[in-house]
Amino acid sequence: MAIAKADAIEKAKKIKFVILDIHGIMTDNTLFYTQDGVKSEAFSLHDRMGIKALMDEGIGVSFLTTKISRADEQMAKIYGLPLENLWGQGAKMARVDQFEQETGYKDEEICYAGDEMIDLAVMKRSGFSVAPADGSQEARGIADYITSAGGGKGVVRELAQFILEAQGKWDNFLGEFK
Amino acid sequence: MGFEKDMNNAQERARKVKLFGHDIHGTLTANNVIVDIEGNRQYGFWHMDGFGDLSLTANDIKIAFLDTTSIDGEGLFRAKELKLDKLYFSITDKAAKLDELVKEFNISYDDVGFLGCEVSDIPIMRKVGFGVATADARDEVKALASYITTNQGGRGAMREVCEFILRAMGKWDGWVEKVTKMGYK
Repeated sequence: MAIAKADAIEKAKKIKFVILDIHGIMTDNTLFYTQDGVKSEAFSLHDRMGIKALMDEGIGVSFLTTKISRADEQMAKIYGLPLENLWGQGAKMARVDQFEQETGYKDEEICYAGDEMIDLAVMKRSGFSVAPADGSQEARGIADYITSAGGGKGVVRELAQFILEAQGKWDNFLGEFK
Repeated sequence: MGFEKDMNNAQERARKVKLFGHDIHGTLTANNVIVDIEGNRQYGFWHMDGFGDLSLTANDIKIAFLDTTSIDGEGLFRAKELKLDKLYFSITDKAAKLDELVKEFNISYDDVGFLGCEVSDIPIMRKVGFGVATADARDEVKALASYITTNQGGRGAMREVCEFILRAMGKWDGWVEKVTKMGYK
């Protein structure tokens, strides 16, 4: 079961932009290595629908991770994310500062989804923070919303529906399929 | 959770199926893609789901291998491996394609089954006689289904629903006997 904490709906109503940690959110944190040392990760395609729903309804999406790999670039293409919304920076707070200065967005208009220690500071400042069901205890402790899905199993799909329902936009998105 | 289905009703509906449709991701796959550091992609399918598709065609039920979600043509790779490429359609509007097939085969929507998982399947789930949802389908899809598989997408959901249909028709035991003796291709 998803857990929405106090005021989660009120907080989600204000969101205009969603920033997503990649590993542990769109993946389940598993790393595969071949015998030749080539690394792979499984990315959720449930989240393709979630990212599409957010962007179709006018909410921006970016990925924020320490280093952008070619796998991340490939997934940005598959998810339909503009390449400039792939942010590779270890200092996550500084990257969000820069984004707010460039765009004028405020903390309360930003949703951030993360699962680990490195995400806590950005989760605390963002208006609506999300952690996956299998995120770290600390991330789940401060999140406004904990998805029923674990990482890589549709976290973004779920947070997208929660935000769009809070904003009264979900039915409009469903209208695409009628 | 909270979606009790009437099994007699499901069997009655399954008995009528002449055409069974499904998409690719979330039903035949676990809805993910494995990407390596060079950007190469892999897609996981469930081996015995193929036996499900083949069991239906061997028993004169047509398959509509509808594909709106493939990224690299993985749906076609799978359809070709199962020799179902003539029943494979890479399209953007699966509801429209199903309309076309219903006309072409001169059947009614009561004769159509469909395995769905996402909200994009809602229009089809509303129309078909025998709508099926995967165990991990969205609630909106489960609500519309006559039957919910115990297996998840990419984990045997298709194999399960094919057996359910053939059992409802009373054809399963005969089919198993035939396969046991003759094998299948």
